[in-house]
Amino acid sequence: AGLAGAGWLYLRREKEQRLRQRRLRDLRALALGQGDFQLQDTSGAPRSRSDLLGRWVLLYFGFTHCPDVCPEELEKLCRAVELLEGVPGLPPVQPLFITVDPARDDAAALGRYLRDFHPRLQGLTGTAEQVRAAAGAFRVYVSAGDPDPDGDYVVDHSVLTFLLGPDGLVRDCYGRSRTAEELARSVRRHMESYEPLPP
Amino acid sequence: AAGMAAPTREERTACWGARDEFWQCLDSHGDDAAKCEKLRRAFESRCPQQWVKHFDKRRDFLKYKKKLETEGYIPPEAAGKS
Repeated sequence: AGLAGAGWLYLRREKEQRLRQRRLRDLRALALGQGDFQLQDTSGAPRSRSDLLGRWVLLYFGFTHCPDVCPEELEKLCRAVELLEGVPGLPPVQPLFITVDPARDDAAALGRYLRDFHPRLQGLTGTAEQVRAAAGAFRVYVSAGDPDPDGDYVVDHSVLTFLLGPDGLVRDCYGRSRTAEELARSVRRHMESYEPLPP
Repeated sequence: AAGMAAPTREERTACWGARDEFWQCLDSHGDDAAKCEKLRRAFESRCPQQWVKHFDKRRDFLKYKKKLETEGYIPPEAAGKS
């Protein structure tokens, strides 16, 4: 009976391993977030996607003039990062914000906005073309609304937080309904079962 | 970068607070906006106009959603049953 139990456990682990590998291949085929981007951080320094390699990243696309969703999602993302910081032995997570409103969100504006959330939260902006390319790579929908007489407008956009692994592959994405605790638990699971995708 | 700076964290919190007070007033007066004019004006003065529009739409959506949850979806009358 012991031997059969051990055999069953082995088969189950093998099956989980196969499922994980298949999911990774599917993720890679989806090619989400593939391709390089060229943006600038809040100090104006150029940053490309390859700068993120080697780290776990939680990435959110938003804009600083956002009425409620972006501050809420950023709070949540940063709270998840804090929770993970409290778990010994886990690699650090880089929280990252990319603006979908480069016309108003220059480096200085981003720096002012992100300061309120987490000390390690970084922000990226760029030209309209650069930002469009980056959002497009992640299939993030972006649509600026009509400006009012003061020139103010809101930007409609997909509300998603992406988890990137150290190999640069998008490992998961999280919508509005997930809590910070759920995010942290999911990231931890990904970290603990992490296998770089074979070439 | 064009126009005004984005609201700061303090300004956001003040706007959300004014919005919540206005909404609480509406809740306790059966959505009679006439009974909550002062709070409406405070809300409009604390929030960018674009945010006021956004939150107005959000309130409509939340009410609609609640209606669906309590009353259920009532489809338009069918032309005739076979």
